[in-house]
Amino acid sequence: MNTVELREVTKTFGKHVAVDALSLDVPEGCVYGFIGPNGSGKTTTLRMIMSIFHPDRGDIRVLGTGGAGADTDRIGYLPEERGIYPKMKLREALIFYGDLKNGRDLPREVDRWLERLDLADWGDKKIDALSKGMSQRAQFIAAVVARPELIILDEPFGGLDPVGLETLKDAVLDLRKGGATVIFSTHDMHVAERMCDYIFMIHRGRKVLDGTLDAIQDQYGQDTVRVRTGDGAEALAGLAGVERINDYGRLQELRLAPGADAQAVLAGILGRTRVESFELARPSLHDIFVRIARPETEEVGHA
Amino acid sequence: MRKTLKLAKREYLAAVRSKGFIIALVLAPVLMSGSILAMALLGDKVDTTDQRLAVVDRSGVVAEALVAAAEQRNAQAVRDEDGKKVRPAYVIEVVAPEADAAAQRLALSDRVRAGTLRAFLEIGPEVLHPGEDAEARAIRYHARNAAMDDLRGWLGWPVNTTLRKARLAEAGMDAAVLDEMLIYMGVEAMGLVERDATGEAAAARRSSEGEALGVPFAMVMLMFLMLMMGAIPQLNAVMEEKNQRIAEVLLGSISPFQFMMGKVLGGLAVSLTGAIVYVALGVLALSYTAVAFPVPYHILPWFFAWTLLAVVMTGSAMAAVGSACNDPKEAQSLAMPAMMPVMIPMFLLVPVIKSPTSGLATGLSFFPSFTPMLMLLRQSTPAGVPAWQPWAGLAIVLAATVLTIWAGGRIFRVAILMKGQPPTIKNLLRWALRG
Repeated sequence: MNTVELREVTKTFGKHVAVDALSLDVPEGCVYGFIGPNGSGKTTTLRMIMSIFHPDRGDIRVLGTGGAGADTDRIGYLPEERGIYPKMKLREALIFYGDLKNGRDLPREVDRWLERLDLADWGDKKIDALSKGMSQRAQFIAAVVARPELIILDEPFGGLDPVGLETLKDAVLDLRKGGATVIFSTHDMHVAERMCDYIFMIHRGRKVLDGTLDAIQDQYGQDTVRVRTGDGAEALAGLAGVERINDYGRLQELRLAPGADAQAVLAGILGRTRVESFELARPSLHDIFVRIARPETEEVGHA
Repeated sequence: MRKTLKLAKREYLAAVRSKGFIIALVLAPVLMSGSILAMALLGDKVDTTDQRLAVVDRSGVVAEALVAAAEQRNAQAVRDEDGKKVRPAYVIEVVAPEADAAAQRLALSDRVRAGTLRAFLEIGPEVLHPGEDAEARAIRYHARNAAMDDLRGWLGWPVNTTLRKARLAEAGMDAAVLDEMLIYMGVEAMGLVERDATGEAAAARRSSEGEALGVPFAMVMLMFLMLMMGAIPQLNAVMEEKNQRIAEVLLGSISPFQFMMGKVLGGLAVSLTGAIVYVALGVLALSYTAVAFPVPYHILPWFFAWTLLAVVMTGSAMAAVGSACNDPKEAQSLAMPAMMPVMIPMFLLVPVIKSPTSGLATGLSFFPSFTPMLMLLRQSTPAGVPAWQPWAGLAIVLAATVLTIWAGGRIFRVAILMKGQPPTIKNLLRWALRG
């Protein structure tokens, strides 16, 4: 069963088409990642699922209910930009947000989450005394404290340090284990690759990718070579059969031209420099993202 | 509805727990009664320095009598029972008229400027039998601030009494009866006679300025204070919650309409709390102090009804406008026009209170955004209003309140998450009409 179903959903703001005839199925109990460049329509889509915006055309069904009447009590929402009443005390604020969603057993649930996200000592402090990372974790608790069945997180990991990111990632995966469906948007492709059962990419309001990471990568085949050489990127310039070079400093990622032979490319490199490692791989999500979102610069990148 | 009330409760608690609310609740009456007290105290603190008046009497009839009148006044009214000087004595200096009147006026003006005179009075030659010549029959008082001057106010009575006595004497009237002929009788202000418990006519109460002006003003000022406390701040509060993204988090749990109404009802609860505290204090003050009029209980239900509707109507409008503002600057520039419907009735208080039953006052009190204040003002005056008018006003204001909530809700829904669109009248209208 699908937790969220979008059918031919379109939303415009004035003359700008933010989301264009979008269809999407989010199966129950999965982690669904939304990726896409800034301004591509991610947040608008998430807000439509939340019934904060209503689509101009198309149908949205959330948790089995259609129309504008999505039951927000069963949905947890973490907007991209954080905002909790700055003058409220943390514990009091979290109980208030849980209560707005008719959550049960809130004081205990709030304390459990504060403990879990290392905020137990801050329960009686005002929100405006929290650091950015702390208030982000606090806001996450506000989104999940009422035990929602669907959790929508808009950029939940932005601005977190590695420890905070790990804590939040584990919390998200635990929520899924508990049966919740999680949709989150992110600009961090590594997070999306590691956490998401399904990945959906939106670009200029239209769906450009949708499926498991494997399925998406399969569309592109093994056209990527990760190579480490003695002389770095300079030694690879103008190599035959290579469409584009992504230079990561100590490692270069080469995209093979259609029909190019990886062995021939390896031989070409060996003819120029010493090869320390050579791996034939499927393109990373990052690479796929860039290929879609930046086709014009791709032209420049042609070697 | 439950969610709206939960938000309203949070808004209410956040407001009444703040130091600002406590301070405002205590400070406002302290400031108000303080200013009344200050006026009462300063009213007694008059300048008691003797005031010297030069009189140039070209008629030759008045000056001597004026000196006598001033001496009589100085003997009676300058000192209180304890012999303490409470008013200035008036010292009249009779100056002989000179042929060059203009030069004499200039010289006397210089003396006033130098501080040796308070003022000078020039009495025209024909004041006893005023003719066509306006110059000849004029009585002119020259001072630094002649229009606002107690001395000038006092002069009118002795000057005219003297002239009248002189005319009557010329007509052959006996000097002995002149004083009695000119006795002045005041007119007392009384209320209408009511039936007492036995059905008999009770004694009519003396009508006081406190009742005629104090009660209506106090009622309307209190309503204004409640609007300032619970409705006007919605503009900035909503703008801030939009800017701080608090709005979007809330919209994950409640609809925009619930959000707006939660804020409006929270503000209403704050206003009513303030109103109850002040009305209770006012009733206590009237009951336990020796004032000349009873507590106007019949007005209190109307006061609460009008305040409730005014706060909800104004609060919804303010919240809607606040939702359309993107930054404090926009909110600031809209604050003034948005407050006009509340401010205009404040400017109309004096004309309406002077003639509460006039066509203008009646008409203005049926304009929806003025109705709560102006109808209450008219109802609170001793004259009152015809019984149907408050009910008709109530129906109009109810309809206007529903309309404001509806339009405000539509603006709020569109604007609360919108960025970069300025809150112009055109935009607000478009959002209200198209949703």
